[in-house]
Amino acid sequence: MCNCDECEQWMQPYMDRVLTDAERAEAETHLNECTYCRKRYRFEEHLRQFVHQAVIEPMPVELKQKLADLRTPLM
Amino acid sequence: MSETTREPDARRLATEARDRVRFEEDALALSDQVYRVARHLVGSREEAEDLVQETYARAFRSWRSFTPGTNLRAWLLRILTNLNIDRGRRVQRQPDQQPLEEGDYFLYNRLEATSDGVPDEERVVQRLSQNDVVSALSEVPHDFRDVIVLVDIGDFTYADAAQILDVPVGTVMSRLHRGRRILKKAMAESAVGSES
Repeated sequence: MCNCDECEQWMQPYMDRVLTDAERAEAETHLNECTYCRKRYRFEEHLRQFVHQAVIEPMPVELKQKLADLRTPLM
Repeated sequence: MSETTREPDARRLATEARDRVRFEEDALALSDQVYRVARHLVGSREEAEDLVQETYARAFRSWRSFTPGTNLRAWLLRILTNLNIDRGRRVQRQPDQQPLEEGDYFLYNRLEATSDGVPDEERVVQRLSQNDVVSALSEVPHDFRDVIVLVDIGDFTYADAAQILDVPVGTVMSRLHRGRRILKKAMAESAVGSES
């Protein structure tokens, strides 16, 4: 079974779903028993959603028009 | 070739015009997503706007080199990242730069340590502001930031990101993993200051 240090190393590959089945099972066994790691994994899930949302900046309307103006004129 | 008559030529031109219009419409429909990525690959909104315009100008000129049925968003982003590199990024680039990083639990630990009581994980995230994320991201060195922006913000797969940046998939993965740790350290510093 993995320990907390290994579990920390596995956090990103776990979330990205690139661990092997065996590694994933091992990580899950640890997570079921360890509140310390489980909290940090849950935090990571919330964090990823938050980061994804936080950086959204709407595209300026004028830019959209400028891009449309770049189109090849129709004959 | 001497057999070529005017009629097939006209038909060919009409087909080409139709394909081009379709390409331009498809590309424009993706502009919000292209801008979203561009905005965080460069430092300012103005730079991002210029870069997106240059990208579309080039894409519309070289639309024939796009293979229909392949990923147009990735194709546009490939143009964009190449243009971004051409815009003198090489000058600022320091290949030997080895930014400091902490483990993946660092940000949580720092936020929890400075919280009152024992908050739940969602509450801990709420201690970060939008600005903490945006400013931290701008501090991540280019090579790492490109990958974070493409995968975590642009929702590209590792394979797409590898193609866009012209690096092996393994490089995308290692830069992504290190880059996220660098980002989390920068967010911790932005939210609660550096450790004294």
